[in-house]
Amino acid sequence: MVDHHGPNTVNLTIDGSPVTVPTGTTILRAAQTTGIEIPHYCYHPGLSSPAMCRLCLVEVDGWPELAPACKTAVAEGQTVLTDSELARRQRTGVLEFYLVNHPLDCPICDQSGECFLQDYVFQEGREHGRGREPKRVLGRDDFGGDVLFYADRCVMCTRCVRFMQEVAEDERLCVVERGDRAIIDTFFEEGLEGSPFAGNIVDICPVGALVSKDFLHKARAWDLDHAPSVCPSCSQGCNITLQTRDDLVQRLKPRENLDVNGWWMCDFGRHNYEWMNRSDRLEEPLIGGESKSWDETLQALFSALEDAQGSVKAVTWAHAPNEEMGLLSALVSELGGSEVVYRSAKTEGEVLLPGYPLLARREDLAPNTEMARVLAMKRVGDDKAQGGLEDLAEHDGVLIVLGDPLEDQPELFGSHAELFVYLGSYASKAANHAHFTLPITMFAEQEGSYTNVQGRIQRFWPGIRAPGSSRPGWLILGALLAELTGIETPVSADQAFGLIVNGISELSGLTFQDLGTGGALIKPSVGVPVD
Amino acid sequence: MPPTVKVVRRPDDERTSYLRATLKGMALTFKHLVNPNKVTLQYPEERPDLSPRWRGTHRMEVHSDGRPKCVACGLCPTVCPANCIRLVGGEDDQGNRYPIVYEIDEFRCIFCGMCQEVCPVEAIHVGVHFENAEYTRDRFVYDLDRLMEQDHPSALLWDPSDPRSE
Repeated sequence: MVDHHGPNTVNLTIDGSPVTVPTGTTILRAAQTTGIEIPHYCYHPGLSSPAMCRLCLVEVDGWPELAPACKTAVAEGQTVLTDSELARRQRTGVLEFYLVNHPLDCPICDQSGECFLQDYVFQEGREHGRGREPKRVLGRDDFGGDVLFYADRCVMCTRCVRFMQEVAEDERLCVVERGDRAIIDTFFEEGLEGSPFAGNIVDICPVGALVSKDFLHKARAWDLDHAPSVCPSCSQGCNITLQTRDDLVQRLKPRENLDVNGWWMCDFGRHNYEWMNRSDRLEEPLIGGESKSWDETLQALFSALEDAQGSVKAVTWAHAPNEEMGLLSALVSELGGSEVVYRSAKTEGEVLLPGYPLLARREDLAPNTEMARVLAMKRVGDDKAQGGLEDLAEHDGVLIVLGDPLEDQPELFGSHAELFVYLGSYASKAANHAHFTLPITMFAEQEGSYTNVQGRIQRFWPGIRAPGSSRPGWLILGALLAELTGIETPVSADQAFGLIVNGISELSGLTFQDLGTGGALIKPSVGVPVD
Repeated sequence: MPPTVKVVRRPDDERTSYLRATLKGMALTFKHLVNPNKVTLQYPEERPDLSPRWRGTHRMEVHSDGRPKCVACGLCPTVCPANCIRLVGGEDDQGNRYPIVYEIDEFRCIFCGMCQEVCPVEAIHVGVHFENAEYTRDRFVYDLDRLMEQDHPSALLWDPSDPRSE
């Protein structure tokens, strides 16, 4: 450990480990730096600490009583005991009180498996309850929006109330009644309906009191596989976790990244995942409608590209990752083409999260418009990502489509083209005239990166298996480019990213290792300034 | 190192009499012929007594109003070492969590009884029962209705008078 002795640091001992932290750090945060997790409910890093759950009380040497670790700042030379006899007895006692009216309905509770009451009671609670009185029964309440409230399971940590107050700045929840009759309630009939960030209170609820209606009874927490990813619903690029089961995305949860979204994400992004489970997928490479092996297809495509005489035009969409966009641009310019156009959906106005100014639902409803801008692609079509391809539909040279499902396009799309190559994930009637149909994976099935509205390049990882023999778009484009230029074929997203980095001055020198899990900004001059 | 080979010498055929061994064997046979202690069971007229801890094909307990006791908690498919339970949970019109789909593939089942042991509401049980013959293989995937119809007794996983085996 680095030995700090400046005036801005404090040295103390927690459970025998020496810790050096900045002045003003709470005991709870200081303990986390050495890997000691002090149980807590009301404390959340993104919210204020009311010190009301009484679970994080720890013993401080020389103090007459236990101190709430979430609220108490560390002091020089302090000795903190989080696991002393007194602290443990205190936690066991507090947990017993929590269970006085808790229904213990873990078998039917959606939080089961990721519930902090379950975890803490299992670690430090009493083996058997001593309660003889009947439990209070309150039932459940529909809070509106996507949130369902099971009053009996609540531990009154008030994280939800404080989130709506401090972060969403839209006070719709409050604590009514006092003492053991205290309960969370909504002010008015509409409850949380229409609050664009209310879904976050389900994430921060440490128990099963607030659950998502969308996820209700859908899967057990322990059945879900988690993959770090980036939300593809707008250009904010919130860091998320894809939670999947049986190769289907079951829900999206925000992943902490203080430079982008903090701990939060909007409900629009959270619930926009059903399209990732679409089953009308392309699974095999087709030449003129007949399925062929990848080897045959790429060989035939390469010679067709070499023989083609006409001018090259390409269209993509703003859901394509950096690697695919970059390689498409490189391929088109290698073939002597002039421009690549893209289509992306847009909406009017941003939806801000007042308590976390970095985060907003952006106007661009696609994750990678920023990279399209960096690559000087031209946006065509309307705000529903439709239309604008009239001259491409009639184009008589080489026509390359990457990703865009062309749902609005007629069946005759590309029927005049000398060579029409369709790289897409979904079966589309507009691809009927494609000479080559190449199935590519979509973002949840592959590794890659997106560039968000700040100009931050962020990696995402595969969460589900790709159907059939579909391959990542960068692998196919990379193989074609390698054939044309003689470079080495990129075999990983990392290498594909390395190839596009060479072509774009703003990105020079960036590697996947530099991006890490938090992403890295491309040159600030390119990004939109964020206050 | 080569393996050690033990050479067993068989007695020479011409110098060996098997008479004594034959008589010894026949004596045992005749002893059982006259022994009143019969071991053959005249199944199906006579039926065996199965142990109360016998673990056969499953049954689902039902409430008095005919609903299954299962609350679709997902513990039995989680604990099942043979992965033979398929469960899809949902909510009924009274707001209770219940299994929309509950299927057990009895061919895959290894009859360990862990589903019964883990069940928090004592809904799924292995049964004291062994006659499972069917005409088709697909009949061995028991769905929820089939499991609720079963009327054989449920297995005991431990002796109720001595639950901790003390």
